[in-house]
Amino acid sequence: MIETKKHYDIPEEDVFLSGHFACPGCGEALAVRYVLNTMGPDTIAVVPPSCISIISGAQPYSSMKIPVYQTTLEASAASAAGIKRALIRQGKDHVNVLALAGDGGTYDIGFQALSGAAERNEDFVYVCLDNEGYMNTGAQKSGASPHLVNTAFTPGGKPTVKKNVVEIMAAHGIPYVATATTGFPDDLARKVAKARDMKGLRFIVVLTPCLAGWGVKDDEGVKVSRLAVDTGMWPLYEVEYGTKYTINRGPQGVPVMEYLKLQSRYRHLTPEMADELQRETDRAWELLQARATCVVSVSNAEPIP
Amino acid sequence: MSAVKLENPALDPALLQERRMLLKGNHAVSYGVMRCRPEVIAMYPITPQTPIVEKIADLALTGEIDAEIMTCESEHSAMSACITASLTGVRVFTASASQGLFLMHEMLHYASGARTPIVMPIVNRTLGSPWGFWPDQTDSLAQRDTGWIQFYTEGGQESLDMVIQAYKIAENPDVMLPAMVCHEAFYVSHALEPITVPSQADVDAYLPPFNPEHRLDVDRKESWGNVVTQEMFYRHRRDMGISMSHVPDLVTKADVEFAERFGRGYGGILEKYRCEDAEMYIVAFGAMCGTIREAVDQMREKNLPVGLLKIRLFRPFPVQAIQEAVAGIPRLVVMERNYSPGLGGILHQELKAALFGMENAPLVHGYLAGVGGVNVSVDRIEELTRKALAETPVVESVWV
Amino acid sequence: MSAQQTPVPTAWTTGWTTVFDTGTWRSQLPVHMWRPAPCFVSCPLGNEIPLWIRSITGGSEEDYKAAWDKVVENDPFPAIIGRVCHHPCETDCNRQALEQPVAINSLEQYLGDLALEKGWTLPPAGESQGKKVAVVGGGPAGLSCAYQLRRFGYDVTIFEARDTVGGLLKFGIPEYRLPQTVADAEIKRVLDLGIEVKAGEAIDTADKLEALRKSYDAVFLAIGAQKAKRLPYLGDDARILIGLDFLEDVSRGKDPVLGDKVAVIGGGSAAMDVARTLRRLGKTVQLIALEGRNELPAQEDEILEALEEGVSLFDGAMVASLDTSKPLMELSCKKVLLDKEALAKGEIKPIPLEGSDFKLEAHQIIVTIGQDPTLDGFDTVVATEGGMIKTNGGPAANVPGIFAGGDVATMDRYVSRAIGQGKEAARAIAAYLGHPEIVPLPDYTLDDAVARNEINPFYFPIAAREERGHTAVTKRLRSFADVKIGYSEGQALSEADRCMSCGTCVECDNCYIFCSDMAVKKAPEKEEHYIILEQYCKGCGLCAAECPRGCIIMKQESK
Ligand SMILES: Cc1cc2nc3c(=O)[nH]c(=O)nc-3n(C[C@H](O)[C@H](O)[C@H](O)COP(=O)(O)OP(=O)(O)OC[C@H]3O[C@@H](n4cnc5c(N)ncnc54)[C@H](O)[C@@H]3O)c2cc1C
Ligand SMILES: Cc1ncc(C[n+]2csc(CCOP(=O)(O)OP(=O)(O)O)c2C)c(N)n1
Ligand code: SF4
Ligand code: SF4
Ligand code: SF4
Ligand code: SF4
Ligand SMILES: [Mg+2]
Repeated sequence: MIETKKHYDIPEEDVFLSGHFACPGCGEALAVRYVLNTMGPDTIAVVPPSCISIISGAQPYSSMKIPVYQTTLEASAASAAGIKRALIRQGKDHVNVLALAGDGGTYDIGFQALSGAAERNEDFVYVCLDNEGYMNTGAQKSGASPHLVNTAFTPGGKPTVKKNVVEIMAAHGIPYVATATTGFPDDLARKVAKARDMKGLRFIVVLTPCLAGWGVKDDEGVKVSRLAVDTGMWPLYEVEYGTKYTINRGPQGVPVMEYLKLQSRYRHLTPEMADELQRETDRAWELLQARATCVVSVSNAEPIP
Repeated sequence: MSAVKLENPALDPALLQERRMLLKGNHAVSYGVMRCRPEVIAMYPITPQTPIVEKIADLALTGEIDAEIMTCESEHSAMSACITASLTGVRVFTASASQGLFLMHEMLHYASGARTPIVMPIVNRTLGSPWGFWPDQTDSLAQRDTGWIQFYTEGGQESLDMVIQAYKIAENPDVMLPAMVCHEAFYVSHALEPITVPSQADVDAYLPPFNPEHRLDVDRKESWGNVVTQEMFYRHRRDMGISMSHVPDLVTKADVEFAERFGRGYGGILEKYRCEDAEMYIVAFGAMCGTIREAVDQMREKNLPVGLLKIRLFRPFPVQAIQEAVAGIPRLVVMERNYSPGLGGILHQELKAALFGMENAPLVHGYLAGVGGVNVSVDRIEELTRKALAETPVVESVWV
Repeated sequence: MSAQQTPVPTAWTTGWTTVFDTGTWRSQLPVHMWRPAPCFVSCPLGNEIPLWIRSITGGSEEDYKAAWDKVVENDPFPAIIGRVCHHPCETDCNRQALEQPVAINSLEQYLGDLALEKGWTLPPAGESQGKKVAVVGGGPAGLSCAYQLRRFGYDVTIFEARDTVGGLLKFGIPEYRLPQTVADAEIKRVLDLGIEVKAGEAIDTADKLEALRKSYDAVFLAIGAQKAKRLPYLGDDARILIGLDFLEDVSRGKDPVLGDKVAVIGGGSAAMDVARTLRRLGKTVQLIALEGRNELPAQEDEILEALEEGVSLFDGAMVASLDTSKPLMELSCKKVLLDKEALAKGEIKPIPLEGSDFKLEAHQIIVTIGQDPTLDGFDTVVATEGGMIKTNGGPAANVPGIFAGGDVATMDRYVSRAIGQGKEAARAIAAYLGHPEIVPLPDYTLDDAVARNEINPFYFPIAAREERGHTAVTKRLRSFADVKIGYSEGQALSEADRCMSCGTCVECDNCYIFCSDMAVKKAPEKEEHYIILEQYCKGCGLCAAECPRGCIIMKQESK
């Protein structure tokens, strides 16, 4: 038998629906698709204001065939925790709770609630859809915006670097922290499935190219996402219990410029700036590798009691 | 995740019976909460509220309270969690005060919009800056537009009883709005009082389980909070108003039913104390009512015909009940600690608005007495009462 | 809002966004379609490469048989072509965007040899159409045409001047490149379909051709190009031989009597074959070609192999004069440059370089500089042009019922072209004879084909091309053993895996997976395998961009 060569193996349930209002080719909607369809119908989701809240539908219609609660920008983690606690009381512990928040709602204004939930090891999956800015409000800078990027608030380029939320979350010692992106949908879906089947707070940050906000062509979102990984700007990795690192895919020797040049938000870069970003990326990758090797040798991953 | 519990706490059946205890006002609230059996309790410390939730933590440890305890990292998160837990279909509880309440502010609107019947005691305390820990109700009064029902109580027993009643009223399918039960810092919160904790069976009989029509449920797949049109928003707000309008009657009814079962009643919306043939009512709420009661007794002995009109329900503001209560009375004097800069006494202004257009409306004096928690003694109240009787009221509230 | 209508609830959703037609946002719509792969377009015989290579990847004998069945639809000689084709398909293979072209030709050899080993047979002749066709000339063009005609249900008779069919496959291309056993076996398999062969019957006069025309419903002329070009200025010394004659003699087992030192004149494949055959006979070989090393018309691998085998190459050179007075003839040579302008027009105009004279010696000279068709007699029946039979651009001659193909009708002189023209002629004849099913095949150009930039390189990890083994030079010089050693099964499998199936959907589901609007629906029952839900498709083009192999085009819509 000739087997069809599938490039991706993504077992999907039918949760995310057509007819939503995401921009054509939206990376965030794509991520939502894999996340929801992997989490499955036994899930209750929490969504703060963000592009996702637009995607989830306008009253009385929903694009998600599960109960969704739209919360406030800073409250996703607390809201999710509240649902899970109630489910436990109702004897419905098997129902998954999922927070689907933007980067602004995660790295910045929602971080306190997230950190608190992590400290309490609340039992839900938190997925941050990181489009590296406040996109719903018109592409302003967030803590997730990368160094030197042009945003509505940093017209000449952001002077400081992207917050390393992955390491911050890992430092909470929660069971699972991972990065993912839409260009590697099977990796993303696998991580969501893995997170879904664990207990405690599980955190996945998904780099989701925002076509309008990044200045990327409608049909290049996936390509850009892949380049983010292959240039080393967004390594794919997992951290379990804050100690056990698994690097899934690191830089593939592609210069960062290959990634940057597809995005008009980097149009203003001078060659020197591009070099700086290359150096930073190389250094971050070295650091990550060092961390990955050294931390594992210190201790094996242990669940928090 | 859940609070640590003692292994198999063998609950002494006596604990479920009616109990007489000497309790501080805050702890009275904790016991009231215990009897309401909330399923999710979110907590965050702030003086002078903290003893309420600390006691709850103790009661959870011994098994007297069986609930998910969330020790949140902020009041904002506590309220956020309460909203979603309530939307998932369980009874929830949290408590706050002052700065904490203000941090919640965004979520207070959210809770009422979400039609979640959360019950939250507020231990009224001044707001910084400057820092102070003094009784003053501006914290909860500043939340008067958030769509919450607000009760103001005078003592620990009343607070305990009102927590139970508040759940009953808030969870009524015609209401489905959150409620605050407010008592003041120290004067109530930390004052010891002999308290009757009603039996569990009686409370269970009085307060039916929470069973909302809509909820976050994977079998129902309904979602809450998607963006609405202007027209929908209009109707949503209007519907909240309709629900609010059901509250006064339900408060009266709840009080009557409560009195029948537990032998204690508070007059429902308003309490009139020695108001027969009065020339003037002193209008107040909260802890000051206790002192005013004594002052009224003192003045009645001196044949000064004044009475106390205690406002128990501040939201919805019981305009009709107040108009009926003051009909034919020539004068009212409001005594309160709540100053809204640029406006005056908050109760004073609300009361005047409530009387506007009333035929033969009484004259209203507004006295800002005891702002910042300054003690207002029985004699001082008599003094102020005599002053009010002697003077023609001015429009503004008067610092006294 | 009328009073009766229930207003939309202000909270708690009641329905799904599937009620919205986000398709109205769109200005372009993806269309799934089969598109020609460049290899297919460039293959002179229309080999449907991506299809059969994909079958090989199945890895079982059944799959290999299916692959072979697909190959022989267009070419009954995969074992032959797998050895001798100049493989323009590989030249245009998109895989070069990554590393090297897919070794299509090697895979053909693998399948061809496997079929011979397993004794696979061609599908039987088609239902009889009750008509008969005469094929003149039994070379690859004639055989291919006869084969296809049998498949279409016609009776075919091949008239072959020689004692046996095969043409240059048997008497031109030497044993070490195409073992006779292989050629014979593949030819026999075709003849076994019920093709009559009249060997030793040359159709070489106008009368004979007219007679054929009368007794047959159609005639296909495939007599090749038999008349060798000569170099009259060298004189007619008996020691000056013609390459084709030499090769035919060798292939017939004759041992030509030659001295030790031989000069071969010519730079094409045939000249290489002469030179290399001479090396196997133990001769010292001097190959003189007008073209420079990089302009030689012979295939690069042939040149390399010839050099490996010890042929001395004098490229960019010509024999200016010849002294035949001694037993060892003396060749006075000059270095030349080819006139670029003439070359652009396809003409060879050597410009001698001053002071570049040199001398060579040889016992024999073998001239191998090309052939022309022998058309004596035919030109009174059919129109000719440039020494070839004139066709209508396709296979039809100017006389109804007469068709032509192969070397007699084209300057594109390759076995694959001959087979392709034979196939095309068969289709044209069938159409001419009113066959109910045969329709002309579409004619694609590289512009229609999936371009390299339409391939999404991400999906194809770098994989080195499997090269066929080569027999060691020492062994080659001692025998006529097959130079190219066919693939092992493992090699075939890993090479087949490299094919990207350009333009042929393999149901990889990428388009389905990358639609954020869930507007691509799987439809295995449909030829395109997928349906675009026009109600929802926003026209982003991501499905097309992420199709690894260019099977989706975005169609502009005016709204
Ligand atoms: C030495 C040599 C090596 C080559 N190597 C390659 C190679 O490696 N790869 C490649 O692709 N191409 C190669 N070619 C070219 C290739 O062989 C030809 O293009 C191809 O064989 C043409 O096929 P055909 O059927 O048109 O003619 P031919 O193969 O020449 O066959 C014509 C047939 O017609 C018969 N015939 C001739 N006149 C008559 C008549 N009047 N009546 C009846 N029958 C007649 C002939 O006997 C012969 O059998 C090579 C050519 C030569 C000379
Ligand atoms: C407390 C608060 N401040 C500001 C806003 C306005 N606001 C709505 S969405 C949004 C952007 C959120 O950005 P992010 O979380 O990155 O999501 P994205 O829109 O990029 O998907 C902001 C700032 C808000 N809703 N609440
Ligand atoms: S016949 Fe030649 S051109 Fe055609 S596929 Fe085979 S090798 Fe390629
Ligand atoms: S990769 Fe395969 S289909 Fe594409 S051009 Fe090469 S051989 Fe043909
Ligand atoms: S990816 Fe989906 S929405 Fe985009 S063009 Fe293709 S079918 Fe249409
Ligand atoms: S993406 Fe895959 S499934 Fe879709 S058309 Fe291309 S080859 Fe076929
Ligand atoms: Mg964002």
